[in-house]
Amino acid sequence: MQKVIEVCPYCGSGCKINLLVENGRVVGAEGANGVTNEGKLCLKGRYGWDFIHDTKLLTPRLKNPMIRRERGGKLESVSWDEAISYTAKRLLEIREKHGPDAIMTSGSSRSTGNETNYVMQKFARAAIGTNNVDNCARVCHGPSVAGLQLSLGNGAMSNSIVEIEDNKCIFICGWNPADSHPIVGRRVVRAKQKGAKLIVCDPRKIEAARIADLYLPIKNGCNIAFINTMMNVILTEGLADMDYIARYTSGLDELKAIVSKYTPESTRKITGIEPDLLRKAARMYATTPGGSGIYWGMGVTQFLQGVETVRALSSMALLTGNLGKPCTGVGPVRGQNNVQGACDMGALPNVFCGYQPVTSAEVRKKFAKAWGIPVEKLSDKPGIPITEIAGHAEKGTLKAYYCMGEDPFQTEPDLKAVRKGYAALEFLIVQDVFMTKTAAAADVILPATTWGEHEGVYSSADRGFQRFYKAVEPEGDVKVDWEIIGLLSTAMGYPMHYNNTREIWEELCSLSPKYAGATYEKMDANGGLGYVQWPCPDAKSPGTQVLYAQPDGSVKFEMPDGKGKLYTVEWAPPHEKCSEEFPTVLSTVREVGHYSCRSMTGNCKALTALADEPGFVQMNPEDALDLGVADQELVWVQSKRGKVISRASVSPRINRGAVYMTYQWWIGACNELTAEILNLSKTPEYKFVPVRLEKIEDQKWAENYVRQEYSQLKQSLRQTNAEGTVAAYA
Amino acid sequence: MNKFVLADPKLCIGCRTCEIACALSHNGERTDNLSQENFFPRLSVIKTFDVTGAVMCRHCEDAPCASACPNGALVRMSDTVQVIQEKCVGCKTCALACPFGAMAIRTFKTPRSFGGKPWGFDYKAQAQKCDLCADRPNGSACVEACPTDALRVIDAQEMQQIRQQRQQKAVVEAV
Repeated sequence: MQKVIEVCPYCGSGCKINLLVENGRVVGAEGANGVTNEGKLCLKGRYGWDFIHDTKLLTPRLKNPMIRRERGGKLESVSWDEAISYTAKRLLEIREKHGPDAIMTSGSSRSTGNETNYVMQKFARAAIGTNNVDNCARVCHGPSVAGLQLSLGNGAMSNSIVEIEDNKCIFICGWNPADSHPIVGRRVVRAKQKGAKLIVCDPRKIEAARIADLYLPIKNGCNIAFINTMMNVILTEGLADMDYIARYTSGLDELKAIVSKYTPESTRKITGIEPDLLRKAARMYATTPGGSGIYWGMGVTQFLQGVETVRALSSMALLTGNLGKPCTGVGPVRGQNNVQGACDMGALPNVFCGYQPVTSAEVRKKFAKAWGIPVEKLSDKPGIPITEIAGHAEKGTLKAYYCMGEDPFQTEPDLKAVRKGYAALEFLIVQDVFMTKTAAAADVILPATTWGEHEGVYSSADRGFQRFYKAVEPEGDVKVDWEIIGLLSTAMGYPMHYNNTREIWEELCSLSPKYAGATYEKMDANGGLGYVQWPCPDAKSPGTQVLYAQPDGSVKFEMPDGKGKLYTVEWAPPHEKCSEEFPTVLSTVREVGHYSCRSMTGNCKALTALADEPGFVQMNPEDALDLGVADQELVWVQSKRGKVISRASVSPRINRGAVYMTYQWWIGACNELTAEILNLSKTPEYKFVPVRLEKIEDQKWAENYVRQEYSQLKQSLRQTNAEGTVAAYA
Repeated sequence: MNKFVLADPKLCIGCRTCEIACALSHNGERTDNLSQENFFPRLSVIKTFDVTGAVMCRHCEDAPCASACPNGALVRMSDTVQVIQEKCVGCKTCALACPFGAMAIRTFKTPRSFGGKPWGFDYKAQAQKCDLCADRPNGSACVEACPTDALRVIDAQEMQQIRQQRQQKAVVEAV
């Protein structure tokens, strides 16, 4: 048996895995001694590998290129030559007729790797001539990247995952480590064992809340009011680090002017938190010797005020001197295994790789020279975010979308509107591993290799570059993502050829000062377990664990004046309001055994055995009683936009008046209910959707309905793949 | 003294990795035939308002399941309590006797033949509970898989150590 080093393809914890390979097939997985996971794996890492070998449990793997020559027609299998030349021809026609900005591309935050993302943004910018490239960070931590960049000058986690267990005080807000990042959650448990104070703010009594010193059951949608109140207490009680503020920050007066109104008494109705408890939390966060770290997830970012909340949290860290020191800082814990990497590589509409802005003439000049194109060809206009594709398509400003490793028909909000918008596109290319719902609607399908079948580098949530290696030969007539993009680029008149990922990596590092010293050698070291946290500016640098810390012990932010910006705004309630018709708040969340759109975990036998369609809607026992719904019964969940069936999961850990669904279910698809209400960074407000629950009297009928819908959906995707017929799914 | 797996709720994050590890350990470590219908972990992660933890057989010294079994299917061997499946008739007495709810009764359909041809089904029952992965070279699968070390095997020696620590603490606190 052979052991091949991988990085887990699921969340952003960066766990190293030994994939066990026998006779060219993966037969198991065990924890490898990676920097972040220390040999440990959660259930997804340990049992989430069998999708590689096409179990067809949920949907089959794509095995050859396909073309649908006319809308409503059938997909037909074609050769790679034909698929590439057809795609290139159609894209060139669209560019000729409507200009380069009528074409959109996506990077992928999933298991394709950093090199592919670099090549995709190069393709968009150099070959097509547009900044229309984005990745699904947009729907998760987009506000963290934007907010932290505005306040501190760097959009990433300030400290590292390994430091968490030595934090003396941990402040968790809107992040459920046990379900979203179990192996980072392990660090929280260890910190607690080592005597750390733990403060957890969440409407649900999540696992971390259970072991917290202080649990603050905040109301859904109160974030800015809550954080402003925390800062109010810190300032009025003299808990702020005035020396640090004077030396390293700006904007104190403006901040004070806003937070002075937010006394614990005045915001009590909004936050639902007793003033005494809130004061205790502020004191604990601000005064614990050794400093405190803040960690957040989607509970902060997926609100209308997502960007502002990130900035308010950063301000709270700045006020208390908790930035630029070990075991403190601000930590947006990234959701997908390479969502940090897709951003690092410039699969974003406003920056090239290494966060170099497209609006800078100097930066464009550098890239134009390196890529061998005239500088005028590089657009200085930031591109379209992925959450606005449907809207632009309907308006007619976007004609083609080259969608790689994403399933917007599952993951975007308001799926009905998404399907309608995408139908208005003239040309949809899907490059993926599985026949997803989006793939089934594509005009061209370009089948790619999956995790385990290719190699490269991922970035984990704390900026850690790590290598992953090829374990098995790919199945079917598929190609590596970056090779497909290169072929297409070449066919469109901009030749792009690489022999391996190393060539791509060396090119992108030579163009990105932050990564200049992050060589394959450093990552290949220690038996492939090397870990290099950017910034890594030169050959000597081992990488940077703590951002903003200077060698002389001082702190410098990546801002023009070197100072962290104190900033907050007035609280505004969520966009949609509960009403008599839709009295309950729906918030979309994660569950531990499944991941993203579920095309991977849904094809894993063990993970599917643990949880399958139609998924769950979590609710409080008293709410269930009012509805007359028993635990595990099927119920309808309805919003203004749609209606889906789901299974009640009744638990006292859920707050009254709110329900929670996970977004990976294909029958109980909560994104049929969510709204496309976008915040400053164009991230949807997934966390506050007014809904109504309805009891289903005839449970037998309901169980049958779920079974039938599920088998029809699976059947249609299989048929689309196998026979090239049209998917019945609309 | 019988050994048992102890679950520490202070360390448990409720991720259910142990449930899969257990189901696989009793399925020849095979994932290929696993499904919702064929998923029988012998421990369960239970969540109440403020406790999360895995519940499984404690391998009691004076095991109520063994005392209750009318057919002698539950026996003490090698410092564990085990089920002799050949003797189990699926009467459920043990499941009712167990104060931890650790015993599950599984019913399986097995094909029956008559005159050499398939002829309907028989039902076979099994009382199932934690067997401490007695035949597994690496020991208990759940303990090996738990990412937060919330599960560990307690044997006579460990039990003695725990007692001594508590006794020392008690004498100090008595001063």
